Amino acid sequence: MSDVVTVSLRAPLTDPLQVEGLTADRVAGLSECEIAALPASLGARQARLGDFFDVKGERSDRLRVVGALKHVHGVAAGMAGGELVIDGDGGQGVAQGMTGGLVVVCGDVGADAARAMIAGTLVVFGRTGARPGRGSRRGSIVALGGIDMPVTYWCACTYEPPHVRLLLTYLRRRYGLNVEDQMIGGRYRRHCGDAGDPGRGEILEWVG
Amino acid sequence: MNIRGVFIEDTFAEGFSMAAARVVITAASSKWSRAAALKLTGFATSIIACKCEAAIERELTPDETPDGRPGISVLLFAVNAEGVKRRLVERIGSTVLTCPTTSCFDGLPDATDRVLVGRALAAFGDKFQSSTVVGGQRYWRVPVMEGEFLLQESFGVQKKAVGGGNFLILAEDAPSALAAAEAAVEVMDGMPGIILPFPGGVVRSGSKVGSRGYQSMTASTNDSYCPTLRLTTGSALVEGVNAVLEIVIDGLDADAIIRALRAGIEAACRPGVRTIAAGNYGGNLGPFRFPLRQIMAGGC
Repeated sequence: MSDVVTVSLRAPLTDPLQVEGLTADRVAGLSECEIAALPASLGARQARLGDFFDVKGERSDRLRVVGALKHVHGVAAGMAGGELVIDGDGGQGVAQGMTGGLVVVCGDVGADAARAMIAGTLVVFGRTGARPGRGSRRGSIVALGGIDMPVTYWCACTYEPPHVRLLLTYLRRRYGLNVEDQMIGGRYRRHCGDAGDPGRGEILEWVG
Repeated sequence: MNIRGVFIEDTFAEGFSMAAARVVITAASSKWSRAAALKLTGFATSIIACKCEAAIERELTPDETPDGRPGISVLLFAVNAEGVKRRLVERIGSTVLTCPTTSCFDGLPDATDRVLVGRALAAFGDKFQSSTVVGGQRYWRVPVMEGEFLLQESFGVQKKAVGGGNFLILAEDAPSALAAAEAAVEVMDGMPGIILPFPGGVVRSGSKVGSRGYQSMTASTNDSYCPTLRLTTGSALVEGVNAVLEIVIDGLDADAIIRALRAGIEAACRPGVRTIAAGNYGGNLGPFRFPLRQIMAGGC
């Protein structure tokens, strides 16, 4: 068992790569070889995660995904627990259908992040792409680098959420992430939704 | 044995088993974490009437707290884990939940025995509460008028905690006894893993088990150490001793109490103090014995 599993993209991609099962809770029960054998698809071509990524570590519910991942879609989709950190930009559908755990994107994230989320937390340090949290029932998106707020979310208030302070302090200490003090102690707009599928999801938008 | 002319009696302090929790309170400033801690630990001097014993352990710097804010740690002792849980639910709910800007965390993360406190208290949120997991621990977010109160789900319980560590300061007069007690408290205050649950860390009304005259009383005055009764009871006091004060120590383990006893007794050996003794009940109260001379000789 490793402290953390690191999955590193060997070379930047130009075509979209869809990954399946690349979640912290799934990886927690897999060996290095089994992680490398997780399914992926490049267009119509079926492939394995190990065809594009180097895998280091095994059987940990802490997963780091490293590289230029803008064209890697579906990371953390359906994740049910554990922690997954994307060291850079994330592609589309990150944390889609998530039911638990923590996903952190250190850069920007593509469209449809945390779509149909049921529970868990997604933190985005960069810009959050289109349609975040669409159809989500519960769970939190913490948007630190700008977001086009969906019209189906309504602003409840601007406040200092204590759990975000705890969470960001934890990320700074546990992962050494470069978290600004103003983010930790800052104020956030709390947007509640998704109204299209009435739920208790939230988007916390950092306002400084 | 003498320390600077103060006689150390050949006796032992008798401790008993307790269960304990450490509560970490953070707030926007140490003013508010302390305000909550003082209320949380109010009326918690003796298990006899207060159902628990609690006090502030020490102040915490932002680097030491889970959320990076100024904090304070509190130790709470009860007879067993269930008692710890009940007291935490009652007291955190009435004192920390209500206090502006505070959050409340478990201070014994490595303890394998745990009690669920957050879930019970989160019901104050009237089903508007929600939970989140950070670092493998669940926290409850309870909506309050100020914003949200954050509270950890489970608190570790130290089942091998010890209550009733003590020593007695037998002095020529009340001012000397008080000065010695204050000196002892000053060095013990803030030592890790212990609290001094009585006012200012000092007890003037040491008790014995049961009562001579009233069947319903579970404890009554320790007449052997009351100077006014020296000639009317089987007194433990010699002529010239006119005031006695007691320091009571609760610890997360016996070693923490030994360290505190050693430091406190050393500081209490001052002019005007005749003897350092200790309260024991012949071994009938609890399984822990803290022999004063052995401890002061560096043993134990």
